[in-house]
Amino acid sequence: MILHSERGPLAGRRTSSAVAATASASERKLALWNIGFAYTAFLIGTLCGLIQVFMRNEMIELPAWLDYYQVLTVHGVTLALVYTTFFIYAFLITGMSRSLGSFGPKVARWSWIGFFVAAAGTVWATIEILSGRASVLYTFYAPLKASGWFYVSLALLIIGTWIISFALIAHYVKWRKANPGVLSPLFAFMTISTLAMWIIACLGVVAAVVFMYIPWAFGWVDTINVELSRTLFWFFGHPLVYFWLLPAYMAWYLVVPKLLGTKVFSDSLARLSFLLFILFSIPVGLHHQLTEPGVADFWKFLQVTLTFMVVIPTLMTAFSLFATFEISGRQKGAKGLFGWVGKLPWNDIRFTSLFISMVFFIPGGAGGIINTSFQLNELVHNTLWVVGHFHITVGTPVAMTFMGISFWLIPYLTGRTLTKTTKNLAFVQIISWSVGMLFMSTAQHVLGLLGAPRRTQHSNYSDHPTVLGWFDGFFSNTSTLALGGIILFFSAMLLMVIVFRLWLIEPRSEKGDLYAEFPIAESDASATPRWLENWWIWIGIAVALILLAYTFPITHMIQDAPPGSKGFINW
Amino acid sequence: MKNKKNPHEADLRGTLISVLTVGILIAVMWFAVYAMYVAL
Repeated sequence: MILHSERGPLAGRRTSSAVAATASASERKLALWNIGFAYTAFLIGTLCGLIQVFMRNEMIELPAWLDYYQVLTVHGVTLALVYTTFFIYAFLITGMSRSLGSFGPKVARWSWIGFFVAAAGTVWATIEILSGRASVLYTFYAPLKASGWFYVSLALLIIGTWIISFALIAHYVKWRKANPGVLSPLFAFMTISTLAMWIIACLGVVAAVVFMYIPWAFGWVDTINVELSRTLFWFFGHPLVYFWLLPAYMAWYLVVPKLLGTKVFSDSLARLSFLLFILFSIPVGLHHQLTEPGVADFWKFLQVTLTFMVVIPTLMTAFSLFATFEISGRQKGAKGLFGWVGKLPWNDIRFTSLFISMVFFIPGGAGGIINTSFQLNELVHNTLWVVGHFHITVGTPVAMTFMGISFWLIPYLTGRTLTKTTKNLAFVQIISWSVGMLFMSTAQHVLGLLGAPRRTQHSNYSDHPTVLGWFDGFFSNTSTLALGGIILFFSAMLLMVIVFRLWLIEPRSEKGDLYAEFPIAESDASATPRWLENWWIWIGIAVALILLAYTFPITHMIQDAPPGSKGFINW
Repeated sequence: MKNKKNPHEADLRGTLISVLTVGILIAVMWFAVYAMYVAL
């Protein structure tokens, strides 16, 4: 058996042994800046979430200068776009440095430039939203029109992420040139897969913002093609979900086996599943637009079918994870069909947090299949169900995985340790987040199925008797939703305390401290085909699928475009 | 060396049943909402 840290006769087909033990001080500093920015956004976003649930229950009244839609937009942008993006780059930067060695001066410089550009765009966008000039929610659907500077600031955020992405890709290319014919370490491979998908996906939103929203918002053109703008947004919007999810998968594939004391179940399977995510996450955006006119059913059906294909890498991942659990348990002496469950390290918060996040992904994934089913979408479209789905996918599997990563990544970067007190706080935090999310998202799913709309402050249709009947049950009740929201806010504040302690208060770690390590499991690449790392093949197939799925619908939207819409301004 | 055997030779019956259970759970949820769609 040849692992990436060993030498052997198949050296040309294995991954490199040149794995750095730690990230350098420069990369640690950059990662910490990203994490600091991410958790600042997290603090603002969760506070806005709490305000929303109070407003839905008419428990508070906002001052005249602030309204529900501003708060909702800040909540969506800071949590779904900013917290996730900056945390992901912190994770990727540290992991790439750890896997491929320290960054060269150019990579380091451009990574910093990218961070500052993205951060400037974020701060500017937040100012635009809080000033009331951009209450257009995080999807910024036309014909709702924000200030032109809001779109410019969003463009800066995307440009910043591209700069960091290309810097990381340059680091990878340099490593491959230095290691010809060698498969890259699995962490690096997964990072490049994620970044390739992100860069391709952003082309849609960049085209929409630069060529449609900005000229329209600044008054250079009078109208906007609404259908086309939304289509380009969802070209980006759906793979955006996978941009959040794939780093969580990286932790599941690479960190979990290390914590269990075993290795990655199958290097080939892990690489293939990431490649399939590139293929099936982009040419599928139309399943977010199933209720919209102007797109022939055939193209919607095609993209729905491609969306369903994501089930394959998802269940491959599930199989790989269960196999990792079982193999690890049996190595520790587990007997019977499920004896290995008891052998899992439940008292290790790094593992338990990730495990709970995986469990939440089961109903989350099922909800996703319901959302994308052509007819069932009619039942749930634009209802609170979708908000509930969002919270048990991005809000828990992704966010809780990032929380679980924080428990060791911050000590790894700051050189501190996770003491028993903070570990206990972390357990309370993870459990309270789970309980709060269970209440809130279940209420959102149930209310959505009954017909309560989303994107509105009130969902009671002016107290119509039928609608009031919706709110009678325990889970079909906005009070339950609020209870969940309050518990979640408590959990979020507890997380901030933990982050603060890990950053500044906890004692310095000693050599060999498990909580101050970046855990990456070994991966046996001896049987992994090299064509799995031939990017020309995989990006070529992805482009072909995108052209197949989008060429006709977009051509039709441009050639047979309606007159277009003027902007609707609510500021 | 029993514990270091190839993963492809490992006893993965629990994994198979677990993944099948996840698949069945997803299918049951889908059909539950489908039943609601048909009923409404």
